[in-house]
Amino acid sequence: MMPVIEARNISKNFGRFQALRNVSFSAAPGEVHALCGENGAGKSTLVKILTGVLQPDDGQTLIGGEVHGIADTQHAQALKIGYVSQELSIAPHLSVLDNVWLGCRGVPLLHRRNELRERARRALNLVGLAHLSLERRAGTLALGEQQLVEIARMMVRDVAVLFLDEPTATLSDREIECVFSAIRELRRNGKTMIYISHRLGEVMDLCDRVTILRNGENVISTDVADISRGKLVEHMLGRSLSEMYPQAGGMSSVGALEIRGLMVPGKIRGLDFAVPRGKILCLAGQMGSGATEAVRALAGLVHDATGSVVLDGMPLKLGSVHTLLERNMRFVSEDRAGEGLFLNLSVEENFAATQFDVVRRFGLLLPAPVRELAERLADIVTVNPDRLRSRCGDLSGGNQQKIAIGRCITPGSGILLMNEPTRGVDVGARAEIYALMRQLCDQGYAVVMTSTDLEEVVGLADMVLTMYRGARVSLYGRDEISASRILLDITHPLTYENAA
Amino acid sequence: MSPKYFWVERLMAFRPRLWISTHGALLPLGLALLLLTAMFTPGFLSAPNLLSLVNTASVIGCVAVAMMLITISGNVLSFALGVTTGCSAMMFAWLTGYESGLLATVGALVFSTVVTGFQGLLIGLFRANPIIVSIAALGLMTGAAELISQGSMIYASGSQLQGLNDTFWSVPASGWVLLALVLLADFILRFTRFGRNIVMLGSNMTAAKAAGISLWRTTVGVYALAGLFSGIAGILLAARYNAGSLEYGIGYDYSAIAAVLVGGTFIGGGEGTALRTLAGLVVITGAGAILLLHGVSTEYQFLFTGLVLLVAVLVQGR
Amino acid sequence: MTSISRLIAEPIIRACVLFLFVALVFAVSAVFAGVVVDATTMFSVLQNFAMIGLVALGLGLTVLIGEFDLSVAGMFILGGCVAVIVGSNGPVFGLAVAVLIGIAGGIIQALLMIRLGLNSVAITLGGLLTFTGIAHVLTESKSVLFNDLSVALAMNVPVLGVFSLRSLITIACFLAGGVLITYTRIGRDIVATGSNRHAARVAGVSTSHMLVGVFAVSGALAALSGALLSFGLSAASPTGLSNVMIPAIAAVILGGGSLSGGVGHPIGIAAGVLVLAIVRSGLTVLGVSPSVHEIVTGALLLVVAILDGPALGERLYQFKSMVTLRVGSI
Repeated sequence: MMPVIEARNISKNFGRFQALRNVSFSAAPGEVHALCGENGAGKSTLVKILTGVLQPDDGQTLIGGEVHGIADTQHAQALKIGYVSQELSIAPHLSVLDNVWLGCRGVPLLHRRNELRERARRALNLVGLAHLSLERRAGTLALGEQQLVEIARMMVRDVAVLFLDEPTATLSDREIECVFSAIRELRRNGKTMIYISHRLGEVMDLCDRVTILRNGENVISTDVADISRGKLVEHMLGRSLSEMYPQAGGMSSVGALEIRGLMVPGKIRGLDFAVPRGKILCLAGQMGSGATEAVRALAGLVHDATGSVVLDGMPLKLGSVHTLLERNMRFVSEDRAGEGLFLNLSVEENFAATQFDVVRRFGLLLPAPVRELAERLADIVTVNPDRLRSRCGDLSGGNQQKIAIGRCITPGSGILLMNEPTRGVDVGARAEIYALMRQLCDQGYAVVMTSTDLEEVVGLADMVLTMYRGARVSLYGRDEISASRILLDITHPLTYENAA
Repeated sequence: MSPKYFWVERLMAFRPRLWISTHGALLPLGLALLLLTAMFTPGFLSAPNLLSLVNTASVIGCVAVAMMLITISGNVLSFALGVTTGCSAMMFAWLTGYESGLLATVGALVFSTVVTGFQGLLIGLFRANPIIVSIAALGLMTGAAELISQGSMIYASGSQLQGLNDTFWSVPASGWVLLALVLLADFILRFTRFGRNIVMLGSNMTAAKAAGISLWRTTVGVYALAGLFSGIAGILLAARYNAGSLEYGIGYDYSAIAAVLVGGTFIGGGEGTALRTLAGLVVITGAGAILLLHGVSTEYQFLFTGLVLLVAVLVQGR
Repeated sequence: MTSISRLIAEPIIRACVLFLFVALVFAVSAVFAGVVVDATTMFSVLQNFAMIGLVALGLGLTVLIGEFDLSVAGMFILGGCVAVIVGSNGPVFGLAVAVLIGIAGGIIQALLMIRLGLNSVAITLGGLLTFTGIAHVLTESKSVLFNDLSVALAMNVPVLGVFSLRSLITIACFLAGGVLITYTRIGRDIVATGSNRHAARVAGVSTSHMLVGVFAVSGALAALSGALLSFGLSAASPTGLSNVMIPAIAAVILGGGSLSGGVGHPIGIAAGVLVLAIVRSGLTVLGVSPSVHEIVTGALLLVVAILDGPALGERLYQFKSMVTLRVGSI
């Protein structure tokens, strides 16, 4: 059958980073096609090229068998290509109705029409939002509902090809079922869907074909029926887990950091845990589970967080970054450009940013001690010392992340708080970062981290605390950790919901 | 790196910092053009002309350094520095009535520091929009000064600070004051913790917060410092004219921000030096003087400043 | 109870409540001061409304889309000067030329902003100075007079007792703006662009078209407003930048606009402008000096700037918890 959308030999570079190398992809009408790969495998880049968000450096895109460029998102819409992106694209100040029709071509100038209301209503009913008022402001919806509104937006547009980038990442069970039934309904109507997901269970259940990418290259493209789940994992990773993740250390002692009754209004409902030195505790949970918020609260960045934090037997005040710095508790943000680093300052200035007390001489910051400190830290985190004077923004994501971690290394061992430690980091640097984290732990650091990358959680953590909707589900020690249990906890918290 | 090459490397590193910045591409070009036209402008390089140029430029220069601090800290610009200069000139002139140069100086400086520092407090504490706060301060101070002075000029009594009008080594005292402020500002920005905090705050406010920098303390500090520098500009004015008036500061904000931007300070904050601002000031005032000497009328000065500022901003775009 | 608090949280309603409150305060104080409130007072309020209204509307639209147009003050002056100079060949022609220049200025600024990826404050600061500079050059830095006094009379003659041609045009523009934002697709796209620009672009809204359009309208309204005022006064001058800027910004934020974008409505802005107009007329009626006007407007602007500050809630929370802590320890 003639593929409805096809990509041939696409390449795309971001600076020196090669995101896609000669990647080809095609989808036939009426199929649900899964696009799988690890973080950073190039899935999102490929999707963005096929939806007009990005332009390829090399290669062709074909629509209905003809070579056809996709100039921008408007053009993609004219070609009946729809895209539900991973990051939500809801205008929070507009009503649900306006959000459903937002950006749709052919909406008349005076757009308050009953016909449009009815079509929006039907689309919302189809994705399981029958209870939602059309006039409700979209900013007041839960994350899952916003995601469903976005899918409804694509349904009213009568698209032929629909890209869904991790559509279920933020959804509860019931909502996931709604999305699946909507997808099946669309398939019955002959639409093509490209479904991007980590979750192999969903892929096996829902999809007809699967294409796997790894490190920006094609690995395999096959019918789902012809491939086993294990084989799928093997293709995605291309290596065994033990190569990637360092051996856990044996050091263990009394709890270094103890948290009791951590609360953030509307986000976390009472969280208790303790981390001994030398261990990595991972808070696992989906978006909206409160895991990220918990780490941010410990980092002193959530102003209305309450609860007791005891570090080495001494209480610690929440909400003051300054006190945390004094007690060697440092935070590495997942948003490097926005919150982590000073991208237009030099690498050495970034290293010194939180260590002024170390480099101060006669109350002044002289260049030599700053240099010395930066060289020492660069050596520990394996950043090329020749680049100390470069602008931090010119370095790769992996090197930037190493700088962000290096900045936290203090003379005495401390506590490291990390959100998504390897987001936007290529596979090679990722292994180095894991090794670095383990090395710090062996020196007596304790790490509290979050991750939505399940493989990373299983491979790296000494302890895993699973969270769902602002509360703890369960805590696993090193020997009890398994991907299936964690997945069950963070997506299928049956025990929890029955209790509540 | 072996110690032998340390100073070589330092010297190599010094040049790019001053001249080749991503945003300051305009600066060397402007200086070269200025030098070239200055040579072909009769009367420009004469001693009286240069003296009067330094006199005018030094007051605007103090305000420009103040503005540069605000721009670097990520607060874009202030519309209230000019009026602060005028007000502190009035304050100074009024206080000279008490026959104490020290009292007048301290009074004027405390006034300008506190008034501007308070704006910094509102901006740092509530993250109120800095431009709007400065516009409100402009209205408030203009209104209050008009109400108190009834729109008239305040004449200074006594001549405690006549020394400010003398020249030392054939450069007017105000020029030395400006040079001192430039060096002080660059010293603070490069070698003190407060200065690095200012730069980091301007570079990325969220990251600065996550790195434990107190936003409100740094903002108050940078505004107070800017206020202090504007106050010094006011005193220079009052000493020169032996009077204080609200008229004095008018238009300084625009010349100052133009000098800051031509000097290659990044309008988004986090990049720039006072020395480059000084060079930007030289370009702006020098070019203005040359235009005047060529018989271009004063009306065009405003337009010229506007166009230069626009070009300086456009150069910063990608 | 919750529905009432939700209504008050709605920016338009809040602005209108504020307007009613201020009107009431001034009416009561006028009664106590023995001043008669009649059609003349209403007329003067509406004249003040007309003076800052259009500038505030244009600025408000740029705030709604998440930008900030500093150049309105410059365009206001340039529009006035151009209208008076060109208007000697017929006032309508002068008005048209002024508005066209406003549109052109807005479009150029918006295009530069989008193409170069620059901040609107930086670009429009350049615009502000350039437009004022052009006005200085055109008028040779002097006041220019408009000789046809009948135009000034036509501008200011009361219509239906309380309106004038100027205030009627202003009201018409506000109504048109309200319809645009509430009832049309373009209005919806403007709000979406201000609310979350990336999301709007992903959804398929042409955000750059919206930006160009809004800046063109903002320039046009500022020029129109300056032209109308200059015709009303029979004179134009290139000085006095801050006279219109301070009340216009104050009116936008009082009217429920927020500098974070996506919030604000022409009707709310109209209410904000009316609040300032009443304060201004009221102070004049009560006989205080003009510098007090400036102080009052400046203080109002300072207060609304604090209220619009994103960290206000955080500080209030800290303050509250500090107070409860203190009380608890006692």
